Amino acid sequence: MQAERERPWRYLAPAAFLLAIVTAYPLAHVAWLSLERRSLLDPGPPRFTGLDNYLRLAADERFWNALGNTLYFVGASVALELVLGLAFALAVQRPFRGRAALYGVILLPWAVPTAVSARMWEWMYEAEIGVLNYLLGTQVNWLGSPAWALNAAILMDVWKSTPFVALLLVAALQGIPRELYHAAAIDGASRWTVLRRITLPLLAPVILVALIFRTIDAFRVFDSIYVLTGGGPANSTETLSIYAYKVLFQSLEFGYGSALAVSVFVLVALTAGVYVFLLRKIVQ
Amino acid sequence: MLTRRGFIGTLGAAALAACGPPAPRRGAATLVFKHGKLFGDPGVLRALIDEFERAHPGVAVREETLPASSDEQHQFYAINLQAGSDAFDVLAVDIIWVAGFARAGWLRDLGALERKAFFDGPMEAVTWRDAAYAAPWFIDAGLLYYRKDLLEKYGLAPPEYWNDLVRNARAVMAREPGLHGFVWQGKQYEGLVCNALEYLHSNGGAVLAGGRVVLDSPQNREALALMADLVHRYRVTPGSVTTATEEPSRHVFGQGRAAFLRNWPYAWRLLQNPSSRVHGKVGVAELPHFPGGRSSATLGGWQLAVNAASRHQEIASSFVNFLTGEKAQKRLAIAYGFQPARVALYADAELLAAQPFLGRLERVFAAARPRPVTPQYVRVSQVLQSDFSAAISGLKTPRAALAHAQARIEEILDAG
Repeated sequence: MQAERERPWRYLAPAAFLLAIVTAYPLAHVAWLSLERRSLLDPGPPRFTGLDNYLRLAADERFWNALGNTLYFVGASVALELVLGLAFALAVQRPFRGRAALYGVILLPWAVPTAVSARMWEWMYEAEIGVLNYLLGTQVNWLGSPAWALNAAILMDVWKSTPFVALLLVAALQGIPRELYHAAAIDGASRWTVLRRITLPLLAPVILVALIFRTIDAFRVFDSIYVLTGGGPANSTETLSIYAYKVLFQSLEFGYGSALAVSVFVLVALTAGVYVFLLRKIVQ
Repeated sequence: MLTRRGFIGTLGAAALAACGPPAPRRGAATLVFKHGKLFGDPGVLRALIDEFERAHPGVAVREETLPASSDEQHQFYAINLQAGSDAFDVLAVDIIWVAGFARAGWLRDLGALERKAFFDGPMEAVTWRDAAYAAPWFIDAGLLYYRKDLLEKYGLAPPEYWNDLVRNARAVMAREPGLHGFVWQGKQYEGLVCNALEYLHSNGGAVLAGGRVVLDSPQNREALALMADLVHRYRVTPGSVTTATEEPSRHVFGQGRAAFLRNWPYAWRLLQNPSSRVHGKVGVAELPHFPGGRSSATLGGWQLAVNAASRHQEIASSFVNFLTGEKAQKRLAIAYGFQPARVALYADAELLAAQPFLGRLERVFAAARPRPVTPQYVRVSQVLQSDFSAAISGLKTPRAALAHAQARIEEILDAG
């Protein structure tokens, strides 16, 4: 009996060990670094300074600017991706010729490496010879004006990530039993009622999963913005990850940069926690 | 970043072969020389190194190339030097890193350097607390490119003052529809700092003086205001300048769509290429200045330094002296088209015959100014980038931008 009870631990041990090495340890180390005054270029050894870096963070206008940019980016891009992804999934719900081919095409933006598509969008956004201004007949300085730059980055993210949301929802839609729709039709339910009472409630768990993925990704957004604008103009596109990168890898302030990284982690963890809580409630 | 441009290129098979481990010899010193990738035939540098080895029996030099990205090189050096690594002896460093590395105690004091032989600007940048910690190797500085044909056509002279540039640009634009007046680098990045300092310095302004922050001054306000006015008031610079780095601005000018361009010397060869649309129509001048100031190009370039943890300090110093010596700089200048940091070479007939363009650069380099020499430069630059960007994109007035940057940089220097 004793041997049987031990068994799960023995099976879990390798995975737990691996997770401890590749996730828990680095995380704890970064958290520890965030409590130190440690910069590669500083003479002298690192000093333990407790919460000093976090106090500096609270008084750092650049941090609050980056946090604001990040939250705006997350809110706008995730909301648009969900609405557009859902609309697409509903539109292709019924089988038609070429549906499989359409899936393939729709996946393309998701499949292109972000750095590559960001370079492509940079050219399209170019104010003078870019195709976007040509098509719209406008002269907007997409990436160079503080009013537009972050929205331009959001548009690219929506283009890239909507397919991911759409495909998840397409799969979930196909899992909804047909009988429910037949019954609703017999009862004379309107399309709107069917959507609200049958489709959306049954999609909810998958919508939440899609939201978890997209929100976490959007919080950490780095490569697309780094290529498009580098955080400019005037820090109007500087997100928390871009700020953390500049502090960690350009000015080499490991202590303060770690505090920034920890703040991103805490925000993401909190958001994920809320989603998981909601998910449990729905499933129950 | 611009200063690495000269080093971007493909790594030839020869250089790869040179990276392999050498056959160890008993009692022999092996120097490891870290540098960015060279554009062009790596054999020329190798041949020079072979010559050094022949002159120093028992010494072998191994080259090790670093990634082209300036940030990555900076990280590599800082991580290894901070750990006291002796895995390399001689390193090529960007001009803006020297003060930080020197204060950290990572570089050897090159006491015997013949200071007078190099241009003043690079010497200022490699000096920390009165000692030189790196030897200038190659030099870079901002230039004004202009459309010779257009200025001649309308009877205009290359501008001496910034106001002349505005007037000339407007005169040409009025008669050449669709043409931009003046393009430069206005994206929020290191290049913007280089551009903006040229206005500030050419009005007698500065960022630091005697260790104090002097950014919020009337001279700087006037200079930064002119920069913003180029875009918003005089409209000689297109609004898209806030996304422009070196290459996009060179393309606009190279396609014949601008009358003036601010760029580094590398652009000359590309603009003079026979396939270029402006081939033969381009002139070069010192950047304009304000009345009472003087033309002050921002300095870039690469220096050679000795790792303070190296086990072969003396021989490594000799190697630095050899590679930054007149003969080596001349050969490298001919092979790679770099601008040597030694003043005397600008009177060298053979070099000038091979690279005639160098003759026009001596004055520019003699007056070129380094970016603020401080161990905290990278952090200072991040503040300048964002506030200069705010000023030229119209988000802040020049006065507000300078006052803000002044306060932030004071914080950095007080804490550092």
